[in-house]
Amino acid sequence: MKTIQQKIWMLVAIVLSVMIAIWLTLTFYNQKTQDQYNDILQRYLEMNEVTNASQLVITDLNNFLIDPSNKNESKLNNSTQEVFSAQKSVADLRNVDNDFILTSYINLIDSFIETVERSVTYQNAGDADSSVAQFSEANRISNYISEMTLLIIDSELKSYELFYRDIIKKSDELNQLGIWLLLLMTSFLLFLAYLFSLSITRPIHQLRNAADELSKGRFEMPIKVDSNDEISFLARTFDNMRVSINKLFDETQLKAQLEMELQENKLLLQESQLRILQSQINPHFLFNTLNTLSKKAYLEGSEETSDLLVNVAGLFRYNLKRMDRPVTLYEEVVVLKQYMEIQKARFPDRLYFHLEVDESCLHFEMPGLTLQPLIENAVIHAIEPLEEGGHIWFRIVDHGDIVRIEIEDSGGGMSLDKRQQLLDGAIMPENGHSTGIGFSNVMKRLTLFYGIETIVSIESEEGSGTKIILQLPKTGGIGNADETIDR
Amino acid sequence: MRKKVMITLLSLSAIFLAFTIVSAEKVFRPSTELPKLLTTSNDSPRLVLITQELKTSFWADVAKGAEKLANDKGAQLEVWGSYGSNSDEFLKKLELAIHSKMDGIIVQGLDNEAFSELTKVKASFYGIPIITVANDVPKQESLRKTYVGSDQFEAGKLLAEELLRDMDHEGEIILLSDEESHYSQQQRIDGMMEVFHSSPLIKVTNSQTSRSKEQVVAATQDFLNKSPNAKSIIAVNANHLNAMVQEISKRTQVEPYHIYSFDDGSDAFSLLQQGKIDALVKQSPVDMGEKSVELMMDWISNESGPLDTDGYITDIELVKRADGS
Repeated sequence: MKTIQQKIWMLVAIVLSVMIAIWLTLTFYNQKTQDQYNDILQRYLEMNEVTNASQLVITDLNNFLIDPSNKNESKLNNSTQEVFSAQKSVADLRNVDNDFILTSYINLIDSFIETVERSVTYQNAGDADSSVAQFSEANRISNYISEMTLLIIDSELKSYELFYRDIIKKSDELNQLGIWLLLLMTSFLLFLAYLFSLSITRPIHQLRNAADELSKGRFEMPIKVDSNDEISFLARTFDNMRVSINKLFDETQLKAQLEMELQENKLLLQESQLRILQSQINPHFLFNTLNTLSKKAYLEGSEETSDLLVNVAGLFRYNLKRMDRPVTLYEEVVVLKQYMEIQKARFPDRLYFHLEVDESCLHFEMPGLTLQPLIENAVIHAIEPLEEGGHIWFRIVDHGDIVRIEIEDSGGGMSLDKRQQLLDGAIMPENGHSTGIGFSNVMKRLTLFYGIETIVSIESEEGSGTKIILQLPKTGGIGNADETIDR
Repeated sequence: MRKKVMITLLSLSAIFLAFTIVSAEKVFRPSTELPKLLTTSNDSPRLVLITQELKTSFWADVAKGAEKLANDKGAQLEVWGSYGSNSDEFLKKLELAIHSKMDGIIVQGLDNEAFSELTKVKASFYGIPIITVANDVPKQESLRKTYVGSDQFEAGKLLAEELLRDMDHEGEIILLSDEESHYSQQQRIDGMMEVFHSSPLIKVTNSQTSRSKEQVVAATQDFLNKSPNAKSIIAVNANHLNAMVQEISKRTQVEPYHIYSFDDGSDAFSLLQQGKIDALVKQSPVDMGEKSVELMMDWISNESGPLDTDGYITDIELVKRADGS
């Protein structure tokens, strides 16, 4: 991971090193040219030194010949030494072009020194004439040396002419190179700076967009940032936060839903219990009275009335006991039969009840008081309003995984709208129900018990009867854990 | 947008990089080689060929032959000299060569005191061998090792005999020569005179001039005036030819004149080709150059013992005008 600081340092380092490299190269190049130039200049100076030294020797020799003192002699010796050293340094200047003439030059200097020495020797030997002759000879040679120096310098100029021209040309080319280099560096740096700024601003943009999404409440989109600096760290942390929030959010939602369902369940139970409580004004008194009436009727020989009263009493008892616990299908069917006995007594000629029960299904459990309200509905809608009465069919069929319970009547049926309203629980139970428990209460309890919405379905058309179908899974309900208070 | 900016910047960089590379290549390409430094001097013999008449075709040939042989023998040779027979400059070069302790000096002979002083005293003081070439000097007056070149006496004779045949051995001949005596010119004249003396009907008139063009013109006018009948002219010094022919052609036709000369002047051959002069004694300058260097190298390496002081004679032949008239 590179930090932004590192990036900045890297950029600076690149720029700096490139500039240093250029500077070094140019300095080195310049130095080289300068050195060559100096070398050449040095050559001229050294050659000129020979001329100067030889002329000095002539002057000193002249002084010595006029006044042959020790002082003058040592002066002459010094200047002769200088000529020697100048000759030596000139010997180093030998190259392919000037080999011949330089050898001549050096020999000429030798001749000069020899002549000077001869002159001194003659002078010391007292032969003044020969000494003067040698002096004039030396003087001539000195002139030759000057001339030859000029000649050599001239030839040097010729052999270095190309080099000079090269230097001039290259200095122009160097200027041009400088301009190109400047342009190159400018564009290259712009490019680098652009890349650099992009590498910082792009992740920030992405982060900003992500924050925007989050602030709008969209927690699903993962936050992605193409970067490897601090911002990517920020983005990762941000993303973790998003995931946490998302999880928390979901959990809260789930909990709220559960809570809601629980609440609803409790409310339904309370509602049905309330209804029952309303209808059980002293149920024990009623129950005992019914039993007494039954005995009395039996004793008076009215057996039918006695049976009817027993049924009514049984129905009451069932209603009182079986609200908060699951019951078997068998128990439901028994109470259903009792209820139908009572209704048959009400409508002896108008009610035709058909019962088809698969005995093998009777041991399955289901919520209590579910079938009786449905049959009651059928009686209320299909039998009561009709002069000629009607048929009610009740079937329990084993359908593999499920137990199918059908309650069919031959009544007036209902419209599609009404059916839908019924399924949505929009119709409140009318008065006249024996238990006060309506269709929607049954449906909701079934849904809560099994945890499935599609337990109840209705087949109906206006004018051709209604069929209510319950499809109960054999695996049983899930809602048995409801902790309702047993009364 | 981003891509556009990046592509633009990148392509700009690439273009500038290309130009920079081209420019850098120009700057950093190796500069012109400086002449190589030598740590030790070349030990091969250093010879110098000195002439008074640099750049004339005759001496260019001599130098060519000398340089060729020096190259073959592994000697260093330079050609020094003066232009237009400037003897002061010539002598200075000779003295310089002696003081520069050359291993051998091949020199055009000059018959004067300064020359013999230099060759006799100085050169022998430094022990430098001297060979004269093309023009000799009297051998007793200079301590030259030998002479390489034409036998001028024979050359004079050759020319004179041819002229006599052309003139049918009678008539007047004008001899145009230098005022100052030159040994080689004198030898030529001697050769001619020997021939002319044998023909009693021949009259020889000497006309002398100095080097300058005006002098030559004056001398020409002079002999044309004094000897209007003379139809034969010998220019002993070929360098006088041009001015002389010009002067003659100003007055009259050049055709009737028999003009004879030697080939060691700057424009002798072109005059012959133009038909202005009639015959030249052609010498062998390349041979002279080669032979002189060869002898010098032999002397330096002591291969052949003492050289023949009489000299080594190169070939001569007479070349006449192309139409033969």
